Amino acid sequence: MARHPDTDLVPYLRGELPPAERERVARHLEECPDCKQDTELLRDLLGNLAHAIGEPPEISWPRYRAELRAKLEARRALVPWWRRPMPLALSASLAGALLFVAVWGGRELTKSPDAIGPEEVAIGNELGLLQEIRTVERLDLLEDFEVITNLDRLASERQG
Amino acid sequence: MDPSDEALCERVARRDEAAFDLLVSRYQERAYRLAWSILRNGEDARDVSQEAFIRLYETAGSFQGKSKFSTWFYRILVNLCLDHKRKHKWWKLWIRDDDDDRSDTILDRQPAPVNDPVDKLSREETLKALGAAVERLAPRQRAAVLLRVQEDMATYEIARVLKCSEATVRVHLHRALATLKKTVEKR
Repeated sequence: MARHPDTDLVPYLRGELPPAERERVARHLEECPDCKQDTELLRDLLGNLAHAIGEPPEISWPRYRAELRAKLEARRALVPWWRRPMPLALSASLAGALLFVAVWGGRELTKSPDAIGPEEVAIGNELGLLQEIRTVERLDLLEDFEVITNLDRLASERQG
Repeated sequence: MDPSDEALCERVARRDEAAFDLLVSRYQERAYRLAWSILRNGEDARDVSQEAFIRLYETAGSFQGKSKFSTWFYRILVNLCLDHKRKHKWWKLWIRDDDDDRSDTILDRQPAPVNDPVDKLSREETLKALGAAVERLAPRQRAAVLLRVQEDMATYEIARVLKCSEATVRVHLHRALATLKKTVEKR
């Protein structure tokens, strides 16, 4: 005999099983008196359960709905500030401020720390010295050359 | 023609208050009864079922229509009930709930189908014992039984509500009913 269809009995009683399975369970019940008896007991049990569970205490439905409405309102009041709808003027101001920060912040971000800005170039143009930057850079070398050429004199001056 | 639950839920997602009120009216009794069947306490059942409606209002936009609205809503409700039971389990160990409504069953008001007073008493006692046995079932087994018996849900619907496979639901039901059967057989 095939295995007992224990877990199939409730779906069988409710007529949920597909035809092939239903046929298999029905055939088993014909051959197995224990399962047949179980099925009858289950049928009675399911029928009695609805009465056994009983009914809840009666309540006033208008009051139930009024309480529900009050709870819903209270829940709405608890919505965090960032999820609450914002007045139009405040939203517009905040959007403007964000746009300003985005534009100016973006401009600042495009600059590297070593980059020379247009203002600095203009000031540089005013300084003629910067146009001779190569000469300026070599001034140290010229100074060193002078020291080297006058080394003898420097030594005698220290001894004298 | 009355709008479907699914259509109403879509309107609730767009914050249509009238649609929400209509859904509440349609489901309030079923939600309260199912919550009470799981929690066995009137006040808790009222609070938890109201919370389920609030969640429905807040999350209506996430209902995608893949299942029936009732299945989706019962999932919210049953999860809240199971969470509630889990959170209050330790408390129940310390304090017996005097407001427990388990004695206030329909048995006290319903006429028994038999005329013999002895048979009637015996039947009522058996049903009371059965009701108490349902209460002692593991929470998910109990939820599966209640969804089957009270809401007449198919196995696949219960599986969706409990977020498990149909095979698991069959096992839950088989084990729960085997336990309940023993209670009846003892009497």
